[in-house]
Amino acid sequence: MPPAIETEGLVKEYGELRALDELSLRVEEGEFFGLLGPNGAGKTTFINILVGLARESGGEARVFGHDVVDDYQEARDAIGLAPQEFNVDRFFPIVEVLEHKAGYHGVPPEEATRRAEEALKRVGIHHKRDERFDWLSGGMKRRFLLARALVTDPDLLILDEPTAGVDVQLRHDIWEVIQDLNREGTTILLTTHYIEEAERLCDRVAILNEGTKLDVSTPEELMGRGTDTIYVRVREDGEAQTAEPERVAATTTGTGSERVADADGEPVTDADASASVPAGDRLTAIDGVESATVEDGRLAVRARNGGSTAPEVLNALEAEGYEIADLEISRTSLEEIFVEMTNRERSDRE
Amino acid sequence: MSFGPVGARALLKREIQRYLRRYTNTFAPPLITNVLYFSVFGVILGGRIDQIQGFDYIVFLLPGLVVLGMISNAFENASFSIFHGRWNEYIHETLTSPLSYSQMVAAYVVASALRGVLVGVLIAAIGVAFTLVNGQIATVTIAQPLYLAAFGLIVPTLFSGFGVIGGLLAEDFDHLTVMNQFILRPLVFFGAVFYSLETLPGVWRDLSLLNPMVYMVDGVRYGFLGYSDVDPRVSLVVLSALTIAVLFVDVQLFKRGYGLTD
Repeated sequence: MPPAIETEGLVKEYGELRALDELSLRVEEGEFFGLLGPNGAGKTTFINILVGLARESGGEARVFGHDVVDDYQEARDAIGLAPQEFNVDRFFPIVEVLEHKAGYHGVPPEEATRRAEEALKRVGIHHKRDERFDWLSGGMKRRFLLARALVTDPDLLILDEPTAGVDVQLRHDIWEVIQDLNREGTTILLTTHYIEEAERLCDRVAILNEGTKLDVSTPEELMGRGTDTIYVRVREDGEAQTAEPERVAATTTGTGSERVADADGEPVTDADASASVPAGDRLTAIDGVESATVEDGRLAVRARNGGSTAPEVLNALEAEGYEIADLEISRTSLEEIFVEMTNRERSDRE
Repeated sequence: MSFGPVGARALLKREIQRYLRRYTNTFAPPLITNVLYFSVFGVILGGRIDQIQGFDYIVFLLPGLVVLGMISNAFENASFSIFHGRWNEYIHETLTSPLSYSQMVAAYVVASALRGVLVGVLIAAIGVAFTLVNGQIATVTIAQPLYLAAFGLIVPTLFSGFGVIGGLLAEDFDHLTVMNQFILRPLVFFGAVFYSLETLPGVWRDLSLLNPMVYMVDGVRYGFLGYSDVDPRVSLVVLSALTIAVLFVDVQLFKRGYGLTD
């Protein structure tokens, strides 16, 4: 099977502005794929090209192997779109809007009616079937957009910030519906500003910034690239106490409140102090550890992939005669990694 | 993979339902306007006007008013439907569907042309009612039913096609009003709705022949009365060719996404 979405060197220009810059992306069939990026990153432009609401300036885009320009009918038939904006026919009750939409996709009238009723039930607004869109509450409008995307029984469901501005309950309801669909085999493309949403739902995410792809990875891999912090409180001679900075950290920064050794075990500021701190050398010698400091009386070891590094840190401390009193691992959030990546990319350009 | 006519029928049904469900908005304005036209021009003024080419003035007037109503409604419907959909972005429901561009255009044009035909029939009925009430006026007949049917279809189809272009070009609701009030209506009024070309002095008659509305009014008049200033076959051929050209432009504009896509 061809991938659900495949783009090669996709370019979209609005005059001087390059909204998409040689974007190549591949989403496999059945994936739950997230598009992350700040406002103006090109997420909606990318979607609009797939569904025919924008024309690409260069490159190619295919949906299940169908070119979105040459085979636009096949490509569009495969897609269900829940956009950010409320672009719904105001002339008809919502159940009829769904019937029309199904009809445009070649669904015969009786079947279209059945699907419309089913879609409204699935998103929990069937009791509003005879209302017009304008009379729905904000949350119901969001639910309706999802129903409209579902009524054509799409192989690829595209959700452009589906939970923007909705309450927690509705967000969870929407998550449940789209997770069920994904389990049933529907490929999902989700754009979101809520990093938690991407972490929780997506198999893989692409990070876009200013029309370019910064990275594509699983949320776990991305988080593995961030620096976690392992906080350890140690007990010496059977009595709980704060780890002695000089014995734990490799060196001091000279501030008195924070002491640091870098990953090479080299002192940052005070070369003499590091020599008397064997634990610091041991810690910074561990693969993945970037630094060891003392913060608020606790040892703070910064390391990539803190979960797998923590046992080695504990072993190193115990080997030095410390008893572990408390351990806490603070994982880098995807949000922090996202901000770091987009900021880094911006500063690289500058 | 091919997509059958189900999708196009669904859009056509949606377009027709949109104006039939608001039948008061659709039919009351032409009803009232044409009752006024027939009352003032047909009865009050028409009683003081001699026959034109052997026809009572109200009978001579009727085909022109039918054309005026058909053109206005066909154009308004297509242009409004497309522009309103663009304005509120719900035309995206159509654009993101697997309908072909020609199916989209066909649905908008056929629905709008049908509205033009329905309004044309309504106006003709009003005219007939006026002649029946006034026992001194000959009843309206249909002298050339095939020509009447042909012109009655081609004229609203052509203006539905123009309406599609108008709906795509407009950037504001005022633009639609401008197109209808300042372009279409003057052309129709100077298109021999209220007079025969034979009554015009030479240069004005020649200038009038440049107005495409003349051929439409003349053709429909030929269908009703069997009288025309211009050969109806020529009118029919010219209008058919023009309609095909306009529909071709419609499809190309949809294909390019003019006014529809970024």
